[in-house]
Amino acid sequence: MKRFLKLYMIEQKLALRSSDMLTFGVAMPVGVLILINMIAGSKQAGAGFTYLDSSFASLIAVGICASAFMGIPLTIADYRDKKILKHFFTTPCSPMWILGSDMLCCGVTALLSAVSVAFVSVVFLGYKMQGNVLAFMGSWLLTLVSMFSIGLLMASLCRTVKSVNAVTTLVYFPMLFLSGATIPYELFPSGLQKATGVLPLTQGIKLMKAVSMGAEIENVWKIVMLLVGITLICTVVSVKTFRWE
Amino acid sequence: MNACIEVKDLTKSFNGRVVVDGITFHVEEGEVFGLLGHNGAGKSTTIDLLLGLKKPDCGTGTIFGLDPRTNRKAIFERVGVQLQSSNYQNNIRVDELCKEMSALYKKPEDYHRLLQFFSLEKFEKSQVNKLSGGERQRLSVALALINKPEIVFLDELTTGLDTAARREVWRHLKELKKKGTTIFLTTHYMEEAESLCDRIVLIKDGSKVTEGTVKNVIENSPYENLEEAYLWYMGEEVTQ
Ligand SMILES: Nc1ncnc2c1ncn2[C@@H]1O[C@H](COP(=O)(O)OP(=O)(O)OP(=O)(O)O)[C@@H](O)[C@H]1O
Ligand SMILES: [Mg+2]
Repeated sequence: MKRFLKLYMIEQKLALRSSDMLTFGVAMPVGVLILINMIAGSKQAGAGFTYLDSSFASLIAVGICASAFMGIPLTIADYRDKKILKHFFTTPCSPMWILGSDMLCCGVTALLSAVSVAFVSVVFLGYKMQGNVLAFMGSWLLTLVSMFSIGLLMASLCRTVKSVNAVTTLVYFPMLFLSGATIPYELFPSGLQKATGVLPLTQGIKLMKAVSMGAEIENVWKIVMLLVGITLICTVVSVKTFRWE
Repeated sequence: MNACIEVKDLTKSFNGRVVVDGITFHVEEGEVFGLLGHNGAGKSTTIDLLLGLKKPDCGTGTIFGLDPRTNRKAIFERVGVQLQSSNYQNNIRVDELCKEMSALYKKPEDYHRLLQFFSLEKFEKSQVNKLSGGERQRLSVALALINKPEIVFLDELTTGLDTAARREVWRHLKELKKKGTTIFLTTHYMEEAESLCDRIVLIKDGSKVTEGTVKNVIENSPYENLEEAYLWYMGEEVTQ
């Protein structure tokens, strides 16, 4: 355990050193948050809630989006290409250590992002969550885990760094812009709302949003089941198809 | 002398093409052993099979009498490996890489001593990516030694180095040999094999062509030096 922590600490240091994840995962959602607030912060977006209320949950999800669809697949593909994963087979340690510590690093980035958004919202923008905070944390964790399983699946299915790059672009940007993470979902025409409903992150954000606004939405459990299902399927498929080199 | 590595009838094919074809050899404790052959002859694949990174179609490879596929933990506490053309994380510094590798073993060597041994101590805080080719290769050997291994595998360690840098690496390997470490290496430089190896095995298209001490191998050919003898064994024209 101590040795795993040592490994993790070094990987975490490296993750923080490359500023990509901090830019996309942390600085961007905080920037958008401030922007939304300057434009429409206290305006009513619907009956009894402001734009800040409605965008809080989605901005918290941006960090998940960045670490799940960029951080995980790009790191794993890069390490596979560099034979770092293969090298772990020639040590007494399980190669799961390096995968585990990198997943943990990505989780920490997502957490850092969520904490930053929450901090700015609460301290500077006077945000107060209407729903249950603990339930919200639970919904965040479920979204995180299910999106990470998709990221892992991307890393498993793509064999080369090039294809991972392509798939990352194809997945990350649509999820970022169409799932309601940055552009409020309510602003979409209803046709587009239906279409983007199939994006898994949309469902995660719907769940987090519903919980954060304390709204009683009838299909919360449906979404929870869906996310759990996604997690199970993606994890099983990626474990079955994973290539170390 | 005891054999610490034994390879018997090792065979592997990829997509129906036989890449390693019934190779048999052994490596004795404390010797420097060289596996020689053209590009694509199957050297790296043989190492992968022997280390249990790939599953052989048939035949066995054992290290310390153990099968590496079932005794990974026990074996790799005592074996150091440098894979061909491996790379390191972006932005990682030399000391961080050493610490990371040390963390994987129960009783690692003090990495400062290793860096000193390979004259790398002044690069401790440098980024690995910024090291020159020769410095990086020396670092690779240092990392393969971080668990104080009894056997170390070095796959094409000196490819891409200039003559001086190569000789520098040789000097370190010779010192390592003096300490009793068994060295398993592959190389494309016959001069290197001649200078370092006690025994060599020549393979061609996955099959063993000949084996023995460097002296034996030369004597059994019509030529005077290993380079010409090697080409002769490989069935190539030797131009004087
Ligand atoms: N995973 C793989 N799938 C298919 N073919 C492979 C695979 N790995 C190796 N080969 C093929 O097996 C042959 C032997 O490869 P290997 O890497 O063992 O050669 P080598 O002797 O190490 O060559 P070099 O001196 O260039 O390093 C090559 O023709 C290579 O294309
Ligand atoms: Mg090779």
